[in-house]
Amino acid sequence: MITHSILQLGVGRDGAVSRRRFLEVAGAGAAAGWLGAVGLHADDLKKRNAACILVWLGGGPSQFETWDPKPGKPNGGETKAIATAVAGIQIAQHWPKTAEMMKDIAIIRSVTSREGNHERATYQLHTGRAPSPALKYPNIGAVVAQEIGEPAAELPNFVSVGDTVGPGFLGVSSAPFVVDSPGNLPANVAIQVPAARMSRRLSLLKEQDADFANAGAKQIAAGHQGLYDQASRMALSPKLKGFDLKNESEKVRDSYGRGRLGQGLLLARRLIELGVPFVEVRQGGWDNHNDIFKAVPRNAGEVDPALSQLIRDLKSRGMLDRTLVVCMGEFGRTPKVNNRGGRDHWPKSFSVLLAGGGVRGGRVIGKTSDDGTDVADRPVSVPDLFQTFCRALDLNPATELVTPQGRPVKIVEEGKPVAELFA
Amino acid sequence: MRRQLASVRWAVRRGQLVVAAVVAGLCVQAAALAQKKKDEKDPYDSALSDRKKQALATLRKELPPRSEYFAFSPREIDVMLERELAKLGRQPAVTVDDATFIRRAHLDAVGKLPAPKAISEFIADSSPNKRAKLVDELLASKDYARNWARFWRDVILYNTTTDDKKFSAKNLEDWLADQFDKDRGWDTIASELIIAEGKDRADRRDNFLLAQDGTATLMASETARVFMGISIQCAECHDHPFDDWKREQFHQMAAFFSRGKYFMEDKQDPSKKIEMKPRFLLGERPPEKMSGDDKRLAVAAYLIYNPKNYWFARAYVNRVWNELLGDGFYKVDSLGPDGEVIYPAVVNRISVGFRAEGFRPKWLMRTIMNTQSYQRKIGTPAASSDRFAVVRPTRLRGSQVTDVLEQVLGNIKRDGRIVSQFNYDPSVPQEDLEGSIQQALMLMNNPPVQNQISKLAPELVKIKGTDELIKQAYLRVLAREPTTLEIARMRAYFARVGDRREATEDLIWTLVNSAEFTTKR
Repeated sequence: MITHSILQLGVGRDGAVSRRRFLEVAGAGAAAGWLGAVGLHADDLKKRNAACILVWLGGGPSQFETWDPKPGKPNGGETKAIATAVAGIQIAQHWPKTAEMMKDIAIIRSVTSREGNHERATYQLHTGRAPSPALKYPNIGAVVAQEIGEPAAELPNFVSVGDTVGPGFLGVSSAPFVVDSPGNLPANVAIQVPAARMSRRLSLLKEQDADFANAGAKQIAAGHQGLYDQASRMALSPKLKGFDLKNESEKVRDSYGRGRLGQGLLLARRLIELGVPFVEVRQGGWDNHNDIFKAVPRNAGEVDPALSQLIRDLKSRGMLDRTLVVCMGEFGRTPKVNNRGGRDHWPKSFSVLLAGGGVRGGRVIGKTSDDGTDVADRPVSVPDLFQTFCRALDLNPATELVTPQGRPVKIVEEGKPVAELFA
Repeated sequence: MRRQLASVRWAVRRGQLVVAAVVAGLCVQAAALAQKKKDEKDPYDSALSDRKKQALATLRKELPPRSEYFAFSPREIDVMLERELAKLGRQPAVTVDDATFIRRAHLDAVGKLPAPKAISEFIADSSPNKRAKLVDELLASKDYARNWARFWRDVILYNTTTDDKKFSAKNLEDWLADQFDKDRGWDTIASELIIAEGKDRADRRDNFLLAQDGTATLMASETARVFMGISIQCAECHDHPFDDWKREQFHQMAAFFSRGKYFMEDKQDPSKKIEMKPRFLLGERPPEKMSGDDKRLAVAAYLIYNPKNYWFARAYVNRVWNELLGDGFYKVDSLGPDGEVIYPAVVNRISVGFRAEGFRPKWLMRTIMNTQSYQRKIGTPAASSDRFAVVRPTRLRGSQVTDVLEQVLGNIKRDGRIVSQFNYDPSVPQEDLEGSIQQALMLMNNPPVQNQISKLAPELVKIKGTDELIKQAYLRVLAREPTTLEIARMRAYFARVGDRREATEDLIWTLVNSAEFTTKR
């Protein structure tokens, strides 16, 4: 059987010339002739290869116990502040290693929104929009996957350690590939038969699905083939070893911390190196309605070494400039400590940490009032924040995405980027 | 009699289900009764309290007696639909063959494949009413009840954001299975879910309310979504942009579900709270000063037994039709203005029948599955005007994929991820559904699945003659015989591979991974 394929040699996001797409090889079956047009995409070479790692602290981390401590103030609670590598900037005591990296880190202390419900706020801080029953907006990771990722990439363009907000109207092609336990190959990715036999099976499957399309199931069969294309590209890719952290030295693995978050961030760095443009790594446990002064040190003990090592590692590899690191949760926590020693939901004024992607480190944007109940200077809305992400990723926020119904929707509709971060 | 018939037709044309005389103050009656007899029994008793039972019985009496005026045959649905299609110049697709029918009917009714032996017996059966007989047999099985209980469990719970420790999906499913098995009316099922205490996950029907996390606004919007097929939740914050629902109306509805007084935030000044009195969506007002339990009893009365509330019967009919034919007359849980309903006369007519038949789920299944419309060949309707000239192929749900895999390959259930990876929101239209890479990887590479394929192969390898081997594999996995093209292709494949066992494994792998395997066609 002869397959008329166009063989493209593109320069991949990792700078290497990508090998021929597997399915084209498979489709060629008995290796009859290629009718190939070979072209080298010069503009690919110029791309900055922007990427993003989102460190998601689920539950709503307290701004007082992270990046906006208020020791000695009415609502400061038990948390003390420590000095950082940048004179004049202090953060909460639980983050000594992050404090060392402050020259590369910027903090926005004046993020403000109105969603105080976990589900709705999580959606909003992933999509930049309030939930709407009329349209499911995409996770920003899915937008990046579609706009920056290569359509024929071997690895998924959006990987998430832990389940996250979906691709909304962008659909399955930019959906997050969810990894449950970082360190090993994802479930069911390893093929159980030799590659040649798998390719034989896949071409047989293609014909079987074509029959089904002809029998009336065109839409389902086409979608199915699309998924098997993606799945087999991934299953047969040498880049898969990126998921296997045994390829890193013990020393490197230890430096990130051996917990799920630490290993997740090490995985994120490896995937970014291999050309994945968006990786989300999630840690829960930040919904501290009770005993917050015991809970935060425990959680931060895992995030602090991992986050600081990620930034250090990206920097030493020359990747920080093209990689935006964002650390945030869905909202902040109430200034007033409740009678269970915890803090409740507080979307009105909270903090977000940024590094890399052209963001100048060593600065703090905005501030909250002494009692922490209000934004006292430079309010930053959720759309402002998403405009900022776009800026750092070289994405034009006015780019129109198209819904399946043909409705054009801008990546970000409102807001302005926080320009001071880049100046 | 002719006049009565004419009036039914008129009512149907108007999009209303005027079935019997409207009993004004229906709810007042039930609620008064409920208040008169204060119940001292343990509220966690798995049976409903006598007081509630009695109130429900009073309400049920308001249903019209079964009447020949409302009876109709599956043929009548076909005639109406064919007339509509003819107006659009559409030719309905041909009726499917027996092998396709038996697979389709099995998947729809019981969520499983027919056994190869059952397929050949069915094809050989020469009795003219064998399809109707098969439908009856399937609806009598426990698998029918379980399959549809799982469906409604997902309808209710798929998008819940409530902590899953607060309710029990399994208990809800078991209770529903019991109801479908006994063919209790959808009116009874719905009212018992709404008037339950909502306190104890062990009381199985409590779990509908428990899944709403004790939040009045959620109970109101979910009641409307699940039982009326309309979405009112955006009216929580503002007047509905596409529909008639006002913000006040939403909060009046929510007031039914609050144990005490209910307050709405002022739109301009959220610190100001305005007390809202319970009013149902058509403006029905219950007596003042009712207990929380009795207010939900009033909901059941207005939602289910007020014949003016035609949404209730129609939402159920549309759900089931959507499952069986792959498309609904409207989006199953977010109907806006009535103008969005396609072929309203048809769905309204079926709904009238459903109500007149005491809302019995099996009657509806039987009626639809016996239509020609249900038995047409598959196709992909491009526009909503193409609907029902063909049947849309639909994706099997998570538990169906697991069951079907197990039927074909033997025990692979140990991997519960198959269910979660193939499950989808049953309220999303089939045309908007997409699979995932993980699904593909699961069937491609999952070690237990691959092991079972290797174990099944020797059984087939024993079969004499390659053509017969191929035929048996297709029958077993896809529940049909291969086409001549498929036989030729597979025969060539066997010749190319050489090793018969290896080729057989590849054949099974291909069929199990095919789009057809996880699709109802």
